[in-house]
Amino acid sequence: MTVDYLFFTGVNILLAWSVYIVLLTGNLSFAQGAFMAIGCYAAGIMTTRYGVPFLAAVPAAMAISAAMAVVFGYPALRIRGIYLILVTVGLTFCVRIALENFSYTGGVGGLKGMSGATLWHLGGAILAVGALLYLLSRSPLQRILDAVREDDRVAASLGINLTYVKLFAFGAGAAIAGLAGALYGHYLIFVRPDNFDILVSIFVVLYVILGGVNNLWGPLLGATVMTLLPEFIRALQEWRPTVFGLAIIVMLLLRPEGLLSFRLTSARWSGDAGGR
Amino acid sequence: MTAQILNGLIVGSMYALIAIGFTLVLGVLDRLNFAHTEVFMFGAFAGLLVIDAGFPWWLTLPFVMVVSGVIGLAVEFISFRRFEGDVRITAALSSLAVGLVMIDLTHKVWGTEPVGINVPNFVTTAGFTLFGIRVVYVQMLILAVTLALMAALHLLVSRTRAGRNIRAVADSPVAASLLGINVRRVTQDVFFVSSALAGAAGLLLAFRTGYANADVGLTFGLKAIAIMAIGGMGDMRGAVVGGLLIGVLESLTFQFGVGKLGELVVWVAMILVLLIRPEGLFGGGIHAKEVRA
Repeated sequence: MTVDYLFFTGVNILLAWSVYIVLLTGNLSFAQGAFMAIGCYAAGIMTTRYGVPFLAAVPAAMAISAAMAVVFGYPALRIRGIYLILVTVGLTFCVRIALENFSYTGGVGGLKGMSGATLWHLGGAILAVGALLYLLSRSPLQRILDAVREDDRVAASLGINLTYVKLFAFGAGAAIAGLAGALYGHYLIFVRPDNFDILVSIFVVLYVILGGVNNLWGPLLGATVMTLLPEFIRALQEWRPTVFGLAIIVMLLLRPEGLLSFRLTSARWSGDAGGR
Repeated sequence: MTAQILNGLIVGSMYALIAIGFTLVLGVLDRLNFAHTEVFMFGAFAGLLVIDAGFPWWLTLPFVMVVSGVIGLAVEFISFRRFEGDVRITAALSSLAVGLVMIDLTHKVWGTEPVGINVPNFVTTAGFTLFGIRVVYVQMLILAVTLALMAALHLLVSRTRAGRNIRAVADSPVAASLLGINVRRVTQDVFFVSSALAGAAGLLLAFRTGYANADVGLTFGLKAIAIMAIGGMGDMRGAVVGGLLIGVLESLTFQFGVGKLGELVVWVAMILVLLIRPEGLFGGGIHAKEVRA
């Protein structure tokens, strides 16, 4: 049981990071559950039907997931961020309906027979993704993402291709969600399209908002606390949507500028320069 | 075939009622109101309250519209007022949280299963035959009510002072406030009207299916958000035409035996529209492009 809790917490941490990296460009994705499903089914079909080794199927599933994100993200990100919300909501529905209706993916009954993912694989994945995100936060790319988020017009005038930067973040998020999905499926052995309901995507976004978006630790903290807390407090489990919803509403009301305001690296640096 | 088109028009008119609300709020505030789908869902349950209290069924519509309008005002107060100059997605997230709480509380009060709504049989099952198509009275009722509401809304927006203020704020909130328009008041008007329409749509859907279902917000209701994009963001005419179009297309795909894939129609149509004509079918959507005051 404890292993289960830890595993689901880890999957949620990966999903929260996948929302975080999209949010870095100022966009909101409600399709992380769908990308998780794509990763899960892609890896599952490869290992169970074609005998691909698990460790080779995972990166392939991540690539498929990212490719889907780029294909569907392009029409939306080309225009305006608000359209990405619509496209991602649609994608979540489409993926679920498609999985339920094609017999190739097992239909409503689901896909079974995957195995091989352990807590160690998940731990390794979290370390790797965390390390990459940490390196990203120290790299010039982070400042490009900051610029796109804070003022896209200025960013565009500096020669940054907004569409490509946003697509990159969206694709990277989808790859991370696909990784989470592949591990999730190979741990559960049996998955159904129900497992990737739109509520999964909505809750992951809420984890990130509750945890904070200042740095990569916020989503990690949010996902951990919000996954583990309901497992130990019975009342919280029953009233989960209400408690989470009210927590979000109250926190946004108390700190309207807080939860979604990013701390800019440049602000810290200019502060230092002023002090000297 | 004709029966399917009629059916599609009826479903489509309900989509249109919800989509108008999305597009009004987006047009005036440039923000997405995710609680809107749950106001739509709750319309049926508010109607259930009236019927269970022993009032005649036709009293439900005015009651539901007022209750939904008041919920809309509450949503504006909780999720939108505080985030005026803020990142756009803050209000979207806050309204999403309000929607989640509404679903959960409805589940807690009425249970997770759909609840039967008691409407006299002569409305829900009786009907007549016209040109070989069987028409049920409830279908006529839905068409009549949605047409009347849309006509009333059109008159409100195009002919009254309140409507002129709404158009002015939609065009440019800053300019409107400089000209002495109370932007907050206009925002409240918009939330009241859009939520009242959504509640009416929820009640009509419950009349048609015979059930009040707490899950329709995230299934039926969210499609309206795609219809808004298809018609053009902020364009009411587009929301109506888009809703009817998608309703008919959906019922035709069911007709041609593609089964549940009919659910995909609206999202595929939205992505196609975004690719080919990003400003929406009518292109009158004032917020298709980034607008800054």
